[in-house]
Amino acid sequence: MCLWPSGLPYCWVFFTRKKFLVRVTSHGVLKMAESEEEVDVLVQRVVKDITNAFKRNPNIDEIGVIPCPEARYNRSPIVLVENKLGVESWCVKFLLPYVHNKLLLYRQRKHWLDREALVDITCTLLLLNPDFTTAWNVRKELLQCGVLNPEKDLYLGKLALTKFPKSPETWIHRRWVLQQILRQFSVVGRSRKQQQQQGEAEQADGERSQQLSDHLARTLHQEMKVCSDAACRYPSNYNAWSHRIWVVQHMAKGNFKVFHDELSSMRLWVSMHVSDHSGFHYRQFLLKELITELSQTPASTTTCSPQHQSSTVPSVNPHHHSDTQANGELSGAEAAGEDERQLSLTTVLHLFHQEMELCSDLIQSFPGHETLWSHRRHVFYLWHQWRREHQHRCSNNGSSESVHLNNSDPGLTEVGAQSCAGRGESVNGQRHASEPMEIDRAPLPDPRDSKRLKRGVLLPAPPGLPCEHSFVSSILDRCSNPEQRRFALAYKKWLDTVMGPQP
Amino acid sequence: MGTQVKDVIIKPDAPSSLFLDKHADYIAAYGSKKDDYEYTLSEYLRMSGIYWGLTVMDLMGQLPRMNREEIIDFIKSCQHECGGISASIGHDPHLLYTLSAVQILCLYDSVDAIDVDKVVEYVKGLQQEDGSFAGDKWGEIDTRFSFCAVATLALLGKMDKINVDKAVEFVLTCMNFDGGFGCRPGSESHAGQIYCCTGFLSLTGQLHQVNADLLGWWLCERQLPSGGLNGRPEKLPDVCYSWWVLASLKIIGRIHWIDKAKLRTFILACQDEETGGFADRPGDMVDPFHTLFGVAGLSLLGDEQIKPVNPVLCMPEDVLQRIGLQPDLLS
Ligand SMILES: [Zn+2]
Repeated sequence: MCLWPSGLPYCWVFFTRKKFLVRVTSHGVLKMAESEEEVDVLVQRVVKDITNAFKRNPNIDEIGVIPCPEARYNRSPIVLVENKLGVESWCVKFLLPYVHNKLLLYRQRKHWLDREALVDITCTLLLLNPDFTTAWNVRKELLQCGVLNPEKDLYLGKLALTKFPKSPETWIHRRWVLQQILRQFSVVGRSRKQQQQQGEAEQADGERSQQLSDHLARTLHQEMKVCSDAACRYPSNYNAWSHRIWVVQHMAKGNFKVFHDELSSMRLWVSMHVSDHSGFHYRQFLLKELITELSQTPASTTTCSPQHQSSTVPSVNPHHHSDTQANGELSGAEAAGEDERQLSLTTVLHLFHQEMELCSDLIQSFPGHETLWSHRRHVFYLWHQWRREHQHRCSNNGSSESVHLNNSDPGLTEVGAQSCAGRGESVNGQRHASEPMEIDRAPLPDPRDSKRLKRGVLLPAPPGLPCEHSFVSSILDRCSNPEQRRFALAYKKWLDTVMGPQP
Repeated sequence: MGTQVKDVIIKPDAPSSLFLDKHADYIAAYGSKKDDYEYTLSEYLRMSGIYWGLTVMDLMGQLPRMNREEIIDFIKSCQHECGGISASIGHDPHLLYTLSAVQILCLYDSVDAIDVDKVVEYVKGLQQEDGSFAGDKWGEIDTRFSFCAVATLALLGKMDKINVDKAVEFVLTCMNFDGGFGCRPGSESHAGQIYCCTGFLSLTGQLHQVNADLLGWWLCERQLPSGGLNGRPEKLPDVCYSWWVLASLKIIGRIHWIDKAKLRTFILACQDEETGGFADRPGDMVDPFHTLFGVAGLSLLGDEQIKPVNPVLCMPEDVLQRIGLQPDLLS
């Protein structure tokens, strides 16, 4: 649904209401806890039970509310089954207002809570109502003074997301915590550099920084897992996917390998979630980043890599570590630079080609999904724009690059026409043309292995405008699904109006 | 292979006329159940909740039914030392609730009830070097907050206190190939963010930076066969998204591109005839949030029983005329 500021959307809280509060009735509890004092005692015990459950099982991986209208005597409403923590619904109605009011009284300095109590109360509160911003802020303060550690809060957020996978405040808090971790890392990185300058670099220090960078890589990996889980729990989860974008932007900036691995792992995911517009958008984002990276001149990428290293996961981008460029030696440097440029261009073509093939394949296999057609627009637009920019740049400076592009561009069209024909076959009821599919599944060319991809090898390229038109026609010719027809026609109109007028 | 169409079917017996009296009764009663469990659960956004309720009452000409003094006192007690305003007493200040509070005070023509200079300082202090705005002192960045900042300052007539050029620069980095906007650079286009960003560009006089045809196209594609609008491809239609999309279309001068009659039918079908109020979709539970956006949407569609609403600030036009604020719209 929707979460928004004043004038802006806020369905979230109402969504919550529909999902679980409806089940809360209190008859049983009224018998059990009638006076205010009784409620007090009851709730304090429940908060302790939750804390103890986490102590007993540090591997709790999911939370939930168990529909249970009546309290049962002599039994805690906190239930731990394997790694799942459940709260019986009858007690939520007492628990939440109690911890809510306790925290607000503390915030207004009307009631004192020690640190331990604050940790317990905010934990309970946030598991029940994770958009309670102020409770996360209290935890930020506890984190700043060292009472909590970042990992603990990432864990609490992860649990809250198992029940509330969109909770905007939970995602916002995660970004803040991750920034604290990044800051720690960059502080150590800086002090290490200073020490090196003074010639005092010690082995212990090297080990420490290695530990930190391992830690950061692990955090990155865990964060991706949290995003995937939330994305599976709620389709087109805007907050989860925009968080994932933030994470790679901030924790893997310039790290070609991370972006590439993400793109590969997302392939299966999107194929299984063909309606998930946000998942596809993430793919578009990765593709754009990779292509921008690959299209930069090697010299400029080399200069920007050291600054990233201080604050992000160490770059293992082979593209960045060309000794030839780093040392600035001229012998063979030009040739190597040219090789690398060539290789990058080849990789770009490959990426575009694979993406368009994947998209065609999914559109044909799963007719009538707006997401897939929207993806096609995006990828085609990126490709179209990349091609225009490159032609433009090359004709301006007349470098050797232009020779390649000018030569290969007609070739691109040619290959485009071929893959068009390939699709034509499959449209006529045969299997997909085997050649593009094989390329489709082949791994990306390894940029380190420049011998494998010699200059001048003509690779299958993404299609041009005429090819897109024949793709649409082929869909329209054989398709009876009204939705598919509607989207195909809209795509055609988009090609004509938005893409058509451009050269 | 069949496709599951993501849309709703409007039943023949769904409401097709507007029950304004019922809605006014629903909102007037909502604030009175303060010890309700739900009321606790939504306290973290109370200030916005009050804004929704009061605005829809004003649009229906029923504002006098609400307790003006109590609300103004409440807002006063939510302003913090730093100048920012919180959702409720004891909560932390945030731009979201600062805007809501200023909007409410504009409805009541009593902005002076709070320390306006401090509010301006608070907003100004949240602007970052790249022109973006943090939502509060903890630093989260989002184009929603850029909107909140300029909307607050525009209502207070203090837009000159921030670096507007830089702010515009940042919002434009969040524009996507489809003409839409996301929460941060590189993020997916989303009807709610598009509303914030087009509203932002309207208030800063920069609507010429929008590719109105391209964006209008994307927004129109949000209309589903039921007439309702969704916020992104393959999402269900929703009354509140109908507002974000419709208001954005109005701002960029393309509101005539959608089927208004069908949208009206959808919005009317989301009313609850018995309790009053609007739900996100026909048959769901009503709430004040969707009630505001249902009524505001009908106003933008030209319903004459409702006061004209301003698409940028979601406030009655007569209130904005009173304070002399006329945000740009494209034609
Ligand atoms: Zn909604």
